[in-house]
Amino acid sequence: MKYYIGIDIGSVSTNVIAMNEDYVVCFNDYIRANGQPLESVKKGMGLLKEKLECKDSDILGIGTTGSGRELAGVLVGADVVKNEITAHATATLHYHPDARTIFEIGGQDSKIIILQDGMVTDFAMNTVCAAGTGSFLDHQAERLGIPIEEFGKMALSAEQDVRIAGRCTVFAESDMIAKQQYGFSKAEIIKGLCTALVRNYINNLGRAKKLEPPFIFQGGVAANEGIRAAFEAEVNHEVIIPKYFNVMGAIGCAILAKEYIEREGVKPAFKGFDQLELEFTPTSFECNDCPNMCEVIKVVSDGKTLAVWGDKCGKYAGTSRK
Amino acid sequence: MKIGIPKGLLYQYYYPFWRSLFERLGCEVVLSDKSTKSLVGKGIAATVPEICLPIKIYMGHVINLKEKGVDYIFCPRFVHIEKGFWFCPKYIGLPELVDKTLPDTNLLVAEIDCTREDTADLKSFMPVAHKLGVSRHAMKEALKGAAEDYAKFREYCHSGLTLDEAADVMFKGVSPDKFKREEYTTTIGLLGYVYNVYDPFISMEIIDKLRELKVNVVTFDMLDDYDLVKYRDQRTRPIFWTFADKLYEAANVMINDMNVQGLIHITAFGCGPDSVVGKEIEHDFADSGVPFMTLRIDEHTGESHLQTRIEAFTDMIKRKIHKINEVK
Repeated sequence: MKYYIGIDIGSVSTNVIAMNEDYVVCFNDYIRANGQPLESVKKGMGLLKEKLECKDSDILGIGTTGSGRELAGVLVGADVVKNEITAHATATLHYHPDARTIFEIGGQDSKIIILQDGMVTDFAMNTVCAAGTGSFLDHQAERLGIPIEEFGKMALSAEQDVRIAGRCTVFAESDMIAKQQYGFSKAEIIKGLCTALVRNYINNLGRAKKLEPPFIFQGGVAANEGIRAAFEAEVNHEVIIPKYFNVMGAIGCAILAKEYIEREGVKPAFKGFDQLELEFTPTSFECNDCPNMCEVIKVVSDGKTLAVWGDKCGKYAGTSRK
Repeated sequence: MKIGIPKGLLYQYYYPFWRSLFERLGCEVVLSDKSTKSLVGKGIAATVPEICLPIKIYMGHVINLKEKGVDYIFCPRFVHIEKGFWFCPKYIGLPELVDKTLPDTNLLVAEIDCTREDTADLKSFMPVAHKLGVSRHAMKEALKGAAEDYAKFREYCHSGLTLDEAADVMFKGVSPDKFKREEYTTTIGLLGYVYNVYDPFISMEIIDKLRELKVNVVTFDMLDDYDLVKYRDQRTRPIFWTFADKLYEAANVMINDMNVQGLIHITAFGCGPDSVVGKEIEHDFADSGVPFMTLRIDEHTGESHLQTRIEAFTDMIKRKIHKINEVK
């Protein structure tokens, strides 16, 4: 069996998927990175090899996406390194060709993608604020002493509504504490939080956009039933959660890698599973050669420099301006 | 006499005029260095935190010029260059703002309150003449010559050169042909004040980044002044601020006449007028089918943040064109 691999390196999780030539996902893994994206890529690739019992020549192409896409691309030898918007939209359109609106909420960012006739026509990503993303929910779940997996179910059991300020995590937190002191139950507070998160999301990303069904909700947070229910209440319509909701970015870049390899007729750039056994050390330093003081990132393996980026002038490497 | 010109705010737009003027008056023009992290950092440290990023950067340039040692720092007060349109209050109070932020700065202030785009107005520049001990007649002649040079500069801009490129043609003897480049199938309108589009710190060299993605870039300053306002009469609500109005009208012309496939609005954190005009453009042209994206830059914005967005934006446009061609 031959496979295309997609890797999505986000802030919170690293997702690795493999699909065969007929776009069937044969392997998918959602790994919490715990701040070690390289280790989790290695782990994911190791699991993939073991589970699919495949060898280097079975890999037809690799795509990477997410905020760590450059680094992962260097590590494995990627054919396609793509931004998250394009990757997510590609995957969604594969499963739901008629999709019009994609809500995507990940660990530290969220996006909205508007599609028409199978094309992205508009999108928005949240800017600096992490309010309303997975990390925020994680933090609040921890504070309330509820496992994040139970969070959504609990929201559904709430008997009445309570309004929580969702504009900013700091305000949301103090508001939650206040509402707890008024005597609202945990379930009600959680439901209020889900509603606040969705309201914040729609206000920040959805403003001035026409949101049309079918609605697709994906990203790690789509596992949360409470948020899904809040979205459905907000748009007053059914919201579809795709089967592989938490690895859509990875699937998207695998599809893009397949398209690229087939269109260009090139050999895959995959470096081989053995290569992954090597030690990779990413380091960063502040270059002081000019007043720009760029933070330069350098990946070293086995004494060899594999890639350098982050320098504005491009003097450290030609790879810096990709 | 050494006159320092800070590379901030309207510098890119008026530099050729200012340089020509001061050289005609027999002064030496000294420029601040280009915006870097340390120069901007000094500006941020010296300024009140609430103010917008471009003003903080401007202060950084003034500090840089003071370090270099000049006789005067040229700091014009822009009030009007067109009837019915005003500058943002920070321009109107700029000399005072600099004076209070960086005391003991020797400022040379022009009081720009006229109805000329090139600002070559004798009354506006008489305070400069007094301070430099230049006669009214000499100032009049210098302004006339500078206006001619400025008109030449603007012509280069209208031929499709960026402000930086046009300045290189004017002062460094670079041939305009050197800036001829391949025409791509995708054109994006880049909307933003000159200090957002051209300042290497704020824009993170977005024009180069877009060109690397094989996109033609047009900016408001490439449109000639007459073309720029051709649809202004159709508006029901006027925009109060001079350059905000230019951005709005540029969007109008780019969508209607220039066939741009996308608009990117680059704005610096803390800009009041932009928070109005950006939304107006987004709403008023929502039905045009031209996608619109806002890039809001503050002092902490990472380059990857910007790169991801412009990559996704150009991808979206290119995949759309590709698909349309496939159907054909």
